[in-house]
Amino acid sequence: MTTKPAGRTLIAGVGYRNLRDLSAGNAIIDTLLAMDWPSGVEVEDLSYGPMDALFRFKEAAFERLIVIGAVARPGRIPGEVYRSRWQYEAEPPDQVQARVAEAVTGVISLDNLLIICAHFEVLPPDTIVIEIEPEDGDWGEEFSPRVAAAADRIVAQIVSKWGASLVE
Amino acid sequence: MCFKNLPVEFDASGKPYLKEGVANPYGYEPRKDLTHDQITDLLTRNGHIKEVNFDPVTRVAGALAFHSVVDLEQRSVVETNAVATLFRGYEVILKGRDPRDAIFISSRACGVCGGVHSTCSALALEMAFGIQPPPLGVILRNLLLAAEFLYDHPLHLFLLAGPDYSQSAVEATNPELWDRALRTPAEHTGVHGYATIAEIMTDLNPLSGNLYLEALGMTRIAREAYVILGGKYPHPQTIVPGGISTTVTLTTFNEYYSRLLKLVDYSKKVALLWDDVFDFFLRANPEYARVGARRKNLIDTGLWDSPDSYDATYKNCNEWGKARWATPGVIIDGELRTTNLQDINIGLEEFVEHSFYEGWNGERFPTDESGAPLSPHHPWNKETKPRPEGINWKEKYTWDTAPRWDRMSMETGPYSRMWNTALAQEIPDNDFIEATGHSLKLRLPKAAKPALDLEWHIPQDWNALERNRARAYAMAYTALVAMNDWLRGLAMLRDGETKVSTEYEMPRRGTQIGVGFWGAGRGYLTHHAVIDNGKIANYQILTPSTWMASPRDPFGNPGPYEEAVMNTPLLETFDKPEDFKGIDILRAIRSFDPCMPCTTHVYAGDRTIVREVNTCACGVE
Repeated sequence: MTTKPAGRTLIAGVGYRNLRDLSAGNAIIDTLLAMDWPSGVEVEDLSYGPMDALFRFKEAAFERLIVIGAVARPGRIPGEVYRSRWQYEAEPPDQVQARVAEAVTGVISLDNLLIICAHFEVLPPDTIVIEIEPEDGDWGEEFSPRVAAAADRIVAQIVSKWGASLVE
Repeated sequence: MCFKNLPVEFDASGKPYLKEGVANPYGYEPRKDLTHDQITDLLTRNGHIKEVNFDPVTRVAGALAFHSVVDLEQRSVVETNAVATLFRGYEVILKGRDPRDAIFISSRACGVCGGVHSTCSALALEMAFGIQPPPLGVILRNLLLAAEFLYDHPLHLFLLAGPDYSQSAVEATNPELWDRALRTPAEHTGVHGYATIAEIMTDLNPLSGNLYLEALGMTRIAREAYVILGGKYPHPQTIVPGGISTTVTLTTFNEYYSRLLKLVDYSKKVALLWDDVFDFFLRANPEYARVGARRKNLIDTGLWDSPDSYDATYKNCNEWGKARWATPGVIIDGELRTTNLQDINIGLEEFVEHSFYEGWNGERFPTDESGAPLSPHHPWNKETKPRPEGINWKEKYTWDTAPRWDRMSMETGPYSRMWNTALAQEIPDNDFIEATGHSLKLRLPKAAKPALDLEWHIPQDWNALERNRARAYAMAYTALVAMNDWLRGLAMLRDGETKVSTEYEMPRRGTQIGVGFWGAGRGYLTHHAVIDNGKIANYQILTPSTWMASPRDPFGNPGPYEEAVMNTPLLETFDKPEDFKGIDILRAIRSFDPCMPCTTHVYAGDRTIVREVNTCACGVE
């Protein structure tokens, strides 16, 4: 196990449920929520919406956010995991407003969460985004084999890095 | 006379019956419109007539699009079509399922109104199952759905429709109005604190304006109020037939109350600052009374039941309907036609001549349980048979259906329930809300801010500004309904009356039917359920936006969005077609709080302007 960084950390997932690979963020968080986490590390499903997450970040003052979601983007390989440190390239206000309008009317989106919270300057200073490229976004609960393997790898890496133990 | 177009009359005791001697009582001949070639010819011969397309980008679930033909010389809209571009499909998903699943599945029809759908579904099921909630269960539903609306109203007023009246929008589209706003004092500065209209408009600016940011915070307080009692939002798990499955205590009740008081105070300011903005527009240019104007034809089921009256039966629905805090009703050309839920129900029909569906025979329920006639196009008789195909503006162009009451196009919103309640004067006696026959008097109690009396008047002209003004007063109305229910609930708790749900056995044999009459923040909502041998045989959801985004009906009548846009003058300041932004059309559409997330592309000449009309997905089938 590597050394755990200092400061409060939130490990979060975002996504719709029951959409197979597209629900990987929620499913990974469900797995992590069943574990015991050391002090200073919290695990939460942030799919309740960017506006509520905004207030949560404003009040909680996390030092670090690790946010996980399945997002289909052109040119990527299904089942691959893409990890990056979030850098906000400011969007025009009209586009941010459009994202707010989506958020308050119930659209669940990792991009909206990050961009809205970044616009309002509440994202934790160290935000790491872990995206899985989905293969199958149909109705259902099971992952495609490649995304299932990727989800297992992410869980193992997070447990190793942040020191969770299984709840007895 | 309740019905003028349907062949339904009433006997001396008020019981509806089918008029005798009519060979095919619900039959009709679809009207023929202009052909596509005729429209094309019109466009070709007139250079100043342009097609204006509001074309969707489907990055979100559910979409509304608009196709219009505008005359930029006459500054008018020549033709328009509202288009629901996605198939919702909940009716298909629910078929064959355990009826209790409907509460949780139908909730997903909307990301804003999930609790409303759950509740409406629970009402339909308890009618079908023959059960009713205990009094505190009724009160809790009322409190939950008041909290939901107190989330929804500021969302509409400040985050969705509000930016159309902000400094950034007004200065860009009507600079002369902005100049005037800078010089115009705000009448109610003593309540909201703004000295001029320009100051209000500046704080309405999206993302940066104080009113916009404050509204974000207030929506959170309303959500907290819901969650304290209901456990989770937007898709609660605590709504069940026969009540709610949660435990309430004096502590949770008081936590709700602390949020409610903040919303009571907020509603004082909301009503009067929007009064100032809308009065400013109408004084600056009386033509704004034509933006989004249409006939005063409104429908609403009412909501917020009385624990003394609600028994969940269809037989007594007229009585328990009238005992609601919001009176059910139908208004035709400004006149109250009925307040009976049964009349509302038997007058319903849905048509699909301009929608991507096949027709159906609809012979299963020729009457309701009392023997009153039902159309083959009534939701209990309807079948959802999707048939996707290409858009043809004169034939099929939308996934929405054309719901009609007495074969007329109706609109609905918080204003329709306020309008019905004001006219009917059936509201139960209480300390906070008074219906005068022409207005609603709203007595907001002292909280952190002093007590304030408001009065919402039934408007003379019906248009986009008045829709939004009524929405602003709906904040206060809703908060006062919650005050009434909170006081009643507190008294029940003090008396040890803590039961919130009723045990029941779900019928596993035979046929049961039910209808949930409730209301969303945006207006009318019904769920019609038919259950055969313990499984859903038919489930039909009729939402506010199903009514209002509706296409033309077979009689040639446009839907409310279409009609309102057709009546809208183009008051925007522009010299060249490429400068045209379409703000008046967008104000007209947004005043209805349309319920589909949509991206609107306005094509004027060779220029494309991208605007968005955002909401949720419950307006489509």
